[in-house]
Amino acid sequence: MSPVQSVDAAARGARYVGQRVARSEDARMVTGHGTYVDDVVVPGVLHAAFVRSGVASGIITNLDVQAALDTPGVVAVLSGADLNKAVVEAWLDYEGPAAAATPRPFRVLAEGDVRFAGEAIALVVADSRYAAEDGAEAVVVDIETRPAVVSIADALEPGSPVVHPERADNIAGRIDPPEDPALDAIFAGAAHVITETFVQHRYACVPMETRGIVAGWDPYRNQLSVHVSTQGPHGVRTQLARIMGLGDHQVRVVMPDVGGGFGQKMFLLPEEIAVPLAARIVGRPVKWIEDRRENLIAGQHAREDTVTVSFAVDADGVILGARADFSENVGSFPAGGSSSIRFSSLVFPGPYRIPRYRATARAVYTNTNGRCSYRGPWMVETVAREQMMDRVAAELGIDALEIRRRNVIRGTDLPYTTAAGLVYDQVTVDATLDQAADIAGYDAFRAIQAARRAEGRLVGIGVSLFTEPSGIAQGTLSTEAATVRIGFNGLVEVVTSSASHGQSLETTIAQVVADELGVDIADISVTQGDTASTPYGPGTGGSRSAVLSSGAAREAARSMREKLVRIAAHRLEAAEEDLEVLDGRVSVAGTPSAGIGFAELARLAYTVPDALPAGEEPGLQTHARYRPSSPFTWSNACHICTCEVDPVTGKVTLDRYVVSEDCGVMINPNVVEGQIAGGVVQGIGGVLYEHMAYDRDGNPLATTFVDYLLPTTTEVPTIEYGHVETPAPTNAGGHKGLGEGGAIGSPPAIINAVNDALSGLGVRITVQPLTPEAVADAIAAATGAGQSQAQQSDEEG
Amino acid sequence: MLDGENPSRVAVECQVNGVARSATVQARLTLADFLREVCGLTGTHLGCEHGACGACSVLLDGDVVRSCLMFAVQANGRRVTTVEGMGGPDGALSPVQEAFRSEHGLQCGFCTPGFVVTVTALLKDNPDPSETDIREALSGNLCRCTGYQGILKAVAVAARAGRGAVE
Amino acid sequence: MKPAAFTYHAPASVDEALDVLAELGDDAKVLAGGQSLVPMLSMRLAVFAHLVDIGRVAGLSTLDVGGRHVTVGATTVDSRIERDAELSGAVPLLTRVTPYIGHLAIRNRGTLGGSIAHADPAGEYPAVAVALDAEIRLRSARAERRVGASDFFTGLWSTVMEPDEILVDVTFPRWDGRCGFAVREHARRHGDFAIAGAVAGVSLGEGDRVERAAVGMFGVSSTPVRVRQLDAEVIGRPARECDPEQIGALAASGIHDVVSDMSGSASYRRRVGAAMVSRAWAAALEEAISA
Repeated sequence: MSPVQSVDAAARGARYVGQRVARSEDARMVTGHGTYVDDVVVPGVLHAAFVRSGVASGIITNLDVQAALDTPGVVAVLSGADLNKAVVEAWLDYEGPAAAATPRPFRVLAEGDVRFAGEAIALVVADSRYAAEDGAEAVVVDIETRPAVVSIADALEPGSPVVHPERADNIAGRIDPPEDPALDAIFAGAAHVITETFVQHRYACVPMETRGIVAGWDPYRNQLSVHVSTQGPHGVRTQLARIMGLGDHQVRVVMPDVGGGFGQKMFLLPEEIAVPLAARIVGRPVKWIEDRRENLIAGQHAREDTVTVSFAVDADGVILGARADFSENVGSFPAGGSSSIRFSSLVFPGPYRIPRYRATARAVYTNTNGRCSYRGPWMVETVAREQMMDRVAAELGIDALEIRRRNVIRGTDLPYTTAAGLVYDQVTVDATLDQAADIAGYDAFRAIQAARRAEGRLVGIGVSLFTEPSGIAQGTLSTEAATVRIGFNGLVEVVTSSASHGQSLETTIAQVVADELGVDIADISVTQGDTASTPYGPGTGGSRSAVLSSGAAREAARSMREKLVRIAAHRLEAAEEDLEVLDGRVSVAGTPSAGIGFAELARLAYTVPDALPAGEEPGLQTHARYRPSSPFTWSNACHICTCEVDPVTGKVTLDRYVVSEDCGVMINPNVVEGQIAGGVVQGIGGVLYEHMAYDRDGNPLATTFVDYLLPTTTEVPTIEYGHVETPAPTNAGGHKGLGEGGAIGSPPAIINAVNDALSGLGVRITVQPLTPEAVADAIAAATGAGQSQAQQSDEEG
Repeated sequence: MLDGENPSRVAVECQVNGVARSATVQARLTLADFLREVCGLTGTHLGCEHGACGACSVLLDGDVVRSCLMFAVQANGRRVTTVEGMGGPDGALSPVQEAFRSEHGLQCGFCTPGFVVTVTALLKDNPDPSETDIREALSGNLCRCTGYQGILKAVAVAARAGRGAVE
Repeated sequence: MKPAAFTYHAPASVDEALDVLAELGDDAKVLAGGQSLVPMLSMRLAVFAHLVDIGRVAGLSTLDVGGRHVTVGATTVDSRIERDAELSGAVPLLTRVTPYIGHLAIRNRGTLGGSIAHADPAGEYPAVAVALDAEIRLRSARAERRVGASDFFTGLWSTVMEPDEILVDVTFPRWDGRCGFAVREHARRHGDFAIAGAVAGVSLGEGDRVERAAVGMFGVSSTPVRVRQLDAEVIGRPARECDPEQIGALAASGIHDVVSDMSGSASYRRRVGAAMVSRAWAAALEEAISA
C-alpha cells in the first residue's frame, strides 16, 4: 500500500498492532447513532444564547435587558455583573496559580467595557434556542467605541491604545536572552548572511462540531453535572470546581462523542464557564451549542505570527549560526497555555545541524479574538525555517533538496543536542528526506518543470522537513493512566484517563491491550470520557496519546497478564515461565488443554480468594499511571508537494503531495495516515484558503463558511505516504506521536512549491495567505502587468 | 419545548425513514431541528446552519438536500430519509456505511452522516462515478479530520460494491 | 442561528399568491427554493413578518422546450435544468452553467426563478439571461409584464420587481446552426460564488464568419453584464481573426463599476474577468468551428 521501511510487526509478536484494524467507533458514527453534546437529552433543560459585542473596543454605556425579559419563552438574562462575581477562583491554568507567574486577564462576561468584537456581554436563558435568540436580539447594548489595537504592529506602536488596563505595554510575554558574542562572531565571519521576514496570517481550528455544553446543578446532591465537547473531561472538572468553589468530587464531567477539537477544546473558554454558573443561578439545566458564527468570531483563533530569521552560511551552503525573532498576536483573552513563543523558539533549529542559535520573542495583546492552541501551536518555526532554507538555496544557487541534504542531522550524529538544548535520541530526518524525494520523483520533476516553463506554464515543487516534539509529557501533561479489568465473562475492559475526539483511541488502545493479553480485539471494550469512572488525565493534545495513553494501557495490561499468570500457575501447579497467555486462556506452553480461561480466572479471583497465591490481591483489576522516559518523543517527517499556478488568476492547484514520516511503531496505519492527511489538508486550507481577517477597526471579516473557506474534495490532491518505522526509545511500544505533524509540515511545503513555480519570474512571496489575488498581483508586478493594475486602481478609486 | 409563545404555528405531516410523522410546530422550525428534536433523530448534525457544510444533508423524495435550509413545513407530504434510515433495520450497515468503515473514511464522525447521505444519493444516480464525479458531488460537504482521503476511497469502494451487487 | 418568527403562507395558485402579496406588501417575502433566503433568515440578516412559499403553486415548475424558445418556470429546480437532455441541446449554456451553482444539495432545491429574482451579481443564471437576451415574465394582482433581461437587473441584489410581483417564468431563445457555447469562472473553491466569470455563445455563418455573439460577465459588476461593444468588433469577421485576448480586454474595459471587496479588488476582478471572457470565447469558438 505504501512503502515501509520497518521492523516486521509479526516479528514483534503483535497480532493487532501494525494492522489496518477497522474502528470500533464507526458502527455508531456511520449510522447516525453517535452521541455528541447537542444530542444529549436532559429533562427540563433550558437553552442559552449570548449577546455579543459588535465592536472591538469600547465602553458599555447602557445595558437594558427588560425587553429581553419580556420576550416570550425567556427565563433569565444574566450580565457580567451577575456572573463575574460568582467566580471564586479564576485559575485558567488548572494546576493553580503557581503555574502562571502573572495571571492573564480574564472575565466570564464583558463588564464596563468590551475588548474584542464577539466578546460575550450577556447570556439569555429561554425555553428554546429560538426564543433565546429572540431574547438576545431584544437586549439593548450601547457602546461608546474606542480605537482598537488589531495587528502586532498596532500593539507595539508607542502610544497605542491599551487592550487591558493592567498591561499598559500590551505585552503578554517576552523572551530576551543575553547577547551572544560568539554568535555575533560567527555572523561576522560568515561567507553569507541572509535575513528575511515571514508573515503567517491568522487562521483557526474550526472543528466541524462547534463548542457546546450542558450543565445542571443538583442542590440535593450538591453536584454539578456537565456534558461538554472537550479534549479532556478532567481538566474541565478541575477548572470548573475551582471557578465555582467546589471540590473536584462535586463536579461530574462527561465528554460524549466529540466532533473534533484540534486544540480549540483543550481549555475552557468564558462561555463554557458562564453556562454552569447560569445553571446554578436559574436552578435548571442549561444547554448552549455554539453556532458557527460564534465559533468563527469567539471560538478563538491561532497562527498570527511574524518571524525574522537570519542565517550565517558558509560558501557551500552549510549553516553556521542562526537568529530568529518571533512576534505573536495572542488577541485579547488567550486560552491557557496558548502563547507559543517559548516552544517556537525552542524547536526552531529543527532537523538541521545549526551550531549556534539565539532567539528573541514577544507576544502581544490586541482587541481581537484570543489565541488558542492549534495543531502544532509552535509550527511557525517550521514555516519560517523551511522557507528560509529555500531562500538560502536560491541565494547560493543550490537546489532546495540539496541544501537540506548538506545540513540535515544524520543517524551518525545521534544522539544530537540542538543549539536550543533539546536532545534527539532517535530521529531519521535524512531517511524521510530521501524517501519522500524518491516517492515524489524529485529529480524527474525538475526535468518536467523545465519543459513546462518552456510552454509558459508555472509549475513548482516544495520541500519541508521537521522534527515533531510528540508525546509531550511535562507539567499538566506529564502522565496518563489506565485501568484494566476482566469481568466474570472473561471479557476485558480498559478504562482510560484520556478520551478520543476523533483520534480513534477506542480502537488503537484495544489493539495494544489485545496483543498484551492475547485476546481477540472483539473481547475488549474501552471506557473513556467520564470523570466519575475514569482516572485523572489531561486528555488529548501535544500528539501524546500514542505514547502516553497506549503506554498506560500497555503497562496496566502487562500487570494484568502477570496477575493472570500468577493465579494460573498457582492453580495449575506449573511454573510461571512455562505458561503462555493466548486466545483468552492461560495454559502450559505447547499444551493448550492444560490451561484456564479468563472467565474461570475471574471467578476464582473475585469469588474464591482462597484459591489465589498467598498475598495476591483478589479480583482482576490492574492500574498504571504512565510517564514516558523523556518529556519529548521525537518523530519526524518530510513533505514534498508539486503545484501549478494560473498566471492570470493566481490560482494554485496542488498536483502531488507526498509525506514520508517516522512515527515509530505504527499501531494502526489507517489511523496514522488519517492523522497525516487531516493535518496536511488543514495546512492546505491555511496557506491557500482560510483567513481570519479583521479590518482596521477590529471587525472580523470571516463570520460564516461563505467567508472562511475550508478546503473541500475538489481542492485537495491525493496524498501519498511513505513510512520509516524506527522504534522510539522512550516507551515500551516504540511509538511516536504524529497527530500535529501534518499541519506543521504542509504550510511551508506548499509555500515553497508556489515560490518555486514563480522563481522563474523572480518572485518570492513571504506573506501568507497565498490567495489567488496575492499570487496574481505578485506575478503582475513582476511581469509588468502590474502597471496597468496600478492605473486602474487609481481610476477606480 | 421547541418554541416560545408564538402564534405562527403550522401542521407538519411527512414520512421520515418510512414512518409517518405529524406535529404542530412553529413555522420557523427548520427541517433539521424538526428531525432532531421532534423526531429524536439526532444523526442529522448541524455544522453551520447556513447551508455551507453539508452535515445536515438528508434525502427529500430521494434527492439530497440541506435540512438546515428548509423549514419543516416545506416537507409536508414529502418523504424524508436521514442517515438513520440508510442501513438495515437490524443495524446492518449499508454498502456506503460499510465502505466508510473499511476505508477509514471518518475520524470524529460529526460530518459523516452528511457524507453518507450525499454518497448514497450520488451512487443512486451515478453508480459508476469517475473520480472527478465523486470529488464534485462531495465538494459541498466539509470534513475537518480526514483530509477527505479515506472518504474518497470509501466512495470508490462503495461504488464497486454496489455495482457488484447489481451485476 | 435560528430565524425570527414569521407567518407562513402556502398558496396553491399564482392568483392566490398574488392576492397575499397584494395584501401584505413589503411585510412579505416570496420563498422559492430558499437556498439564499433561508441562511439570511437564520442569521437574522433579513427579517420578514410573512413568508409566501410558492413551492406548492401549481404550474410554476415548468420546463417547456419549444422550437424557437425555451421557457423555464420560476420554481424549476437547478438539478432538473442540469439533467434535462432536451434542454441541453436547446440552450446549452443553461445546462453548462448549472454545475457551477453551489453544490448538488443546493441545486436540488435552488430554482432558476429564485436565482434571477435574487439578482446576485455573481449569479450564473442572471448572466446567461442577459447574454442571451432572455425575457422575464412578471405578474402581480394588477398586471402582467415582460421585461428583457438587460432591463431587469438594476443594481446589487436589486431588480425592477415590485413587492407585489412574482416572477412567473423566463424565456430563452434557441440558437440554431453552427454554434458553440462555453462557461469559464474563477472562484476560490468549486461551487463558490464567482470572483469573475463569463458565458459565451457564438454562431458562425459562411466562411466561418461570426454571425451572432453573446458574452455575459458575472461577479465583476453590481449586475450581470452583457458585453454589447463586442458585436461591432466581431460580427461578420472571420472567427479565426478575432483574438480572444483582445476580446477579453475589450469586454473588461467596458465595465465602469467593477466590484472591489474582500474576495477581490477591482483591478484583480477586471484582469480575471478579461481572462474568463477570452477563455470562454476561445472555447465557444472551437466548439462552433468543429460543429
